[in-house]
Amino acid sequence: MSCHTNVPAGHTANLVALDEGAAAKKAVGKVPADVCGTCHTNVVAQFQKPFHHKVPEGAMTCVDCHNPHTATKSPILRSMGANEPGCFKCHGDKRGPFTFDHAPVKFEGCGACHEAHGSANPRMLTRPTVNQVCLECHANLPAAPSSVAGVVPPAFHDLRSPRYQNCTVCHQKIHGSHVDRNLLK
Amino acid sequence: MRPLLLIVCLLPLAAQQPQAQPTTAAATTAADAKPAAEQKPAGDAKAPDAKAADAKPADAAPAPAPKPAADPNAENWLKGSIDFGYRWRSDVAGSMATYRSIVDLGSGPKLLGADFTIIDPKRRGFDRLDVRAYGWGGDPYSTLHVGLKRARMYDFTADYRNIAYFNMLPSYADPLLGRGITLSEQSFDMRRRIASFELDLLPGYWIVPYLAYDRNSNSGSGATAFVSQGNEYPVPNKLSDRTNLYRGGFRIELRRVHATLEQGGTSFTDDQNVYDTPGAANYGNVNTLVFGQKLNLTSLLATYGIKGNSVYTKGLITYNVASRIDLYGQFLFSQPHSDVNYQQADAGNLYLQSQILFYKSEQFLLAAASKMPHTTANLGAELRPVKGIRVVESWLTDRMHNAGSASSSLAMTGTGLSQSTAALLASSLANNYSQHQTDVIVDAAKKLTLRAGYRFVWGDARDLVLPVAGVSNSMTGTLRRNVALIGGTYRAGQKFVLTADGELGTSTGTYFRTSLYNYQKVRAQARYQVAKSLNLSADFLRLNNQNPTTGIKYDYLASQESLSLQWKPAILKYVDLIGSYSRSNMRSNLGYLMPQDLSQQQSIYRENAHTATGLLKVRLPHTATIAPTLEAGGSLFLSSGSRATSSYQPRLNLWVPFTTKFGWFTEWRYYDYGEALYLYEGFRTQVVTAGVRITR
Repeated sequence: MSCHTNVPAGHTANLVALDEGAAAKKAVGKVPADVCGTCHTNVVAQFQKPFHHKVPEGAMTCVDCHNPHTATKSPILRSMGANEPGCFKCHGDKRGPFTFDHAPVKFEGCGACHEAHGSANPRMLTRPTVNQVCLECHANLPAAPSSVAGVVPPAFHDLRSPRYQNCTVCHQKIHGSHVDRNLLK
Repeated sequence: MRPLLLIVCLLPLAAQQPQAQPTTAAATTAADAKPAAEQKPAGDAKAPDAKAADAKPADAAPAPAPKPAADPNAENWLKGSIDFGYRWRSDVAGSMATYRSIVDLGSGPKLLGADFTIIDPKRRGFDRLDVRAYGWGGDPYSTLHVGLKRARMYDFTADYRNIAYFNMLPSYADPLLGRGITLSEQSFDMRRRIASFELDLLPGYWIVPYLAYDRNSNSGSGATAFVSQGNEYPVPNKLSDRTNLYRGGFRIELRRVHATLEQGGTSFTDDQNVYDTPGAANYGNVNTLVFGQKLNLTSLLATYGIKGNSVYTKGLITYNVASRIDLYGQFLFSQPHSDVNYQQADAGNLYLQSQILFYKSEQFLLAAASKMPHTTANLGAELRPVKGIRVVESWLTDRMHNAGSASSSLAMTGTGLSQSTAALLASSLANNYSQHQTDVIVDAAKKLTLRAGYRFVWGDARDLVLPVAGVSNSMTGTLRRNVALIGGTYRAGQKFVLTADGELGTSTGTYFRTSLYNYQKVRAQARYQVAKSLNLSADFLRLNNQNPTTGIKYDYLASQESLSLQWKPAILKYVDLIGSYSRSNMRSNLGYLMPQDLSQQQSIYRENAHTATGLLKVRLPHTATIAPTLEAGGSLFLSSGSRATSSYQPRLNLWVPFTTKFGWFTEWRYYDYGEALYLYEGFRTQVVTAGVRITR
C-alpha cells in the first residue's frame, strides 16, 4: 500500500478516466480517486459506464463513500452519523425512517438494486428495465415460510401494457413511503 | 455560495494588505524569533506545519533574527494558480435529454480551477490557508474547498459542492410511448448542494475536541405521475429537502489508547408538491373508456410536509493491552424519527374501482410518524502469540427496529355522492444482524503472507403492516451463512506484489432471492514494475452465486479482468503513455411467474463489456521559453447483451506555457453515446475549452 507515501512519478493521475478527478482531489480536500485507482483498476473501469457517480468528473472521490482505514461493514463503507448508510449523506430524501419502508433498502442497502460505481442501465440499476429489477424478487413464486422475504405482495399487472412496464411510474416512492403502504405516493 | 467564492478569491488581497502596513514591534519580534529552519518557502506544502508543530519556544530564543529582506516567506506568501476560459459546445445531435442526463456540459465563460495557498509568515491567526475551487460558471459540478490551520491550535476545513442532477431518459418511464409521446414520467431537474464544515481544536495534542456541521439540500422540479384508481396522470412536481447534521466530540490519542466519543444529531425537512393547475383536463395514461366514461384529472394539489430529526451517539476505542494483544470496540446508536402531514385535494372524473363508482373530487389527509432506533456494536481482539502470526477475532451486531403509524381520512364527493372513510395503519420493520469472524494471518516467509478465516453471519428480519390487506403484507426472513476465507500476499521487493483473496460461502437462509447464497468470490491484484519506466498492474474479480432453493433457482456469474500500464520510456524523453483495458462479463438467470398469466419465465440478464482508456503525452519541440505539450487519448465503453451500449470520449489537449507564470490551454472532447435497443436515446456532440492559467 502506498497511499500515504510519496507515490512515484507517473503513479498519480495514472488513468485517463480519473484524470479529470484532479479537480476533485483538490476540491474536496480528500484522497484523490487516482490514488485508489492505481490498484483498483476494475473500479476505474466501472466508472466508465455511462451512468455513474460523478467521480471521473471530479464531483466526488472514493473517500466520500469509503473509509479506507476502517468501517463497521464491508466494503469499508462510510456511515452517516453513527450507523446509517453513507449514501444518505447526499440522498437524504431516501433516508426515512418511513412509515412504510421498502425492506431491501434497510436490509441490504442501495446495492440491492443499484450498481454504486456505474452501470450501463439507467439510474445505475442492476437490470436494464425497472420491472426486471422488481420481478426478480416479486416473482409470484411461493417460497418456504421464513426462508426468503420479498416475494410478497405478488404483482398481477399485465406487463404487455406500456402502462405497467415501469413499476415506479405508480410505485414511485420505491425507497419508502410516508403516506402509502403500496409505495404509490 | 457565490459570494463565499468571491470572498475566498479576494482573500489573497486581504492577506496582502497587512504586509504593506507597518508591523508592530511585538509582532516583528515574534516572527523574527522563529528558527531559520522553520521559515521554509511556501512551496514546501507540508513543511511549515510540521516544523511549526515541532518547534519549541526554548529552541526559538537563541536563534539569530534574520533580516527581513532574507525572509523567503515574504516573497512566497502566496502560491497557486487560476485557470479560466471559455467553453463552446456544438449542437447536440440526437437526444438532448440523454446528453443532459449523462454529460450536461454547457457553453459559456468558466472559472475552471483556482488553487492557491497562503502562508502567513507572521502567523497572524493562521499558518496556512488553502483554497481550491473547480468548475464554476454554470458547470454541473462546482466544488470549493477551504482549509485553514494553525499548528497545535486549530484545523478548519470547509467543503462545498453544487451538483446538477438532470435525468430524463425517454425510454425509462414512458407509458405513452405507444402513442408517440416521449415523456419520462420519472424525471428530475435538480440541484444538490452539499456543505461540510469541520473544526479540530488543539491538533497534535493528546485530546482533540472537534465540531462539525454538514448540510445537504436538494431542490428542483420534475415530472411524476399522480396515481388514482383506474388511471395515472403525468403531472409536474417540485422537490425540496434539506438535511442538517450537527456533531461534536473529542479524540483521545495516547500511547496505548485511542478513543473517539461523538454526539450528534440531524434535522430533516422534505416539502414536496405535486400539482396540476386547474384548466384543461389531463386524461392520463389510460386512453380507453371505463364503463363508457373517460377518466380525467382537472386539478390537483398534494403537499408532503415531512419533518424528521435524529440523535446519535458514537464511541470507539482501541487499547494496546500488551505488546501482543490489541482490543477494540465500537458502540453506535441512532434514533431517527419522522413526522408527516400529507394533504391532497384533486378533482376530475375519478373512479373508485372497489365500488365501481364515479366521483368528482376527493380530499385525502394523513398524519403519520415513525421512529427507528438502531444500535450497532462490535468488539474485536488481535493476538500475536508468536512473531509472524496474528489472530484477529471480531464480533458485530446491528439491530434496527422501525415502527410507524398513520391515520388518514378520505372524503369523496360527486353527483349525489358524499363518502368518507378513515383508516389507521401500523407498520413494523426489524432486522437483527450479527456476524462473527476469525482470521489468522501468517508471515509464512519473508515475501509471503497467508490469510485464512471463517465468518458466520446470522440474522432475522420482519416486515409487517397492520391490518393485513390483500394477499399478505407480512413477511419474515432468516439469514444463516457460513463463509470460509483464504488469501495471501506475495512481495518480491518493491517491484512485484501479488494479492489474492477468496471467499467460499454457503447459506441455509437469506433475506432475498437475489442475495448471496452459495457463492465463491475471488479477487486477485498484481503490480509489477517491469523497468523503471514501465509499470503494469492487473486485477481479476469473479463472483459465482447460486441459490438452488425450490422456487428460486438463481444462477449468477460475474467476472472482470483489468490491465493497466504506465510507460515513460527513457529513450523517448518526449513521450509518456498510460492506459488501461478491462473486460467484464455478467450472466444472471432467475425464474419468476409472469404476472398476467402466471406462466413460468426466466429473468435473463447478460452484459459483456469492454472498457479502455488511454493517454499519450507528447512534449512538442520547444524554444528556450515555450515548451508546449500535447495529450491525445480518451475512453470507450462497449457492451453487448441485455442493454447494448456504446460510449466514446476521445480528447486532445494542448498546453502552451509562455512563461513560468502564464500559459494557454485548449481541450477538444467528443462525446458519442448510443444504445442498440433505444436508438432515439443516442447523442453526439463536441466540446472545446480554451483558456489561460496564471501561476504565482
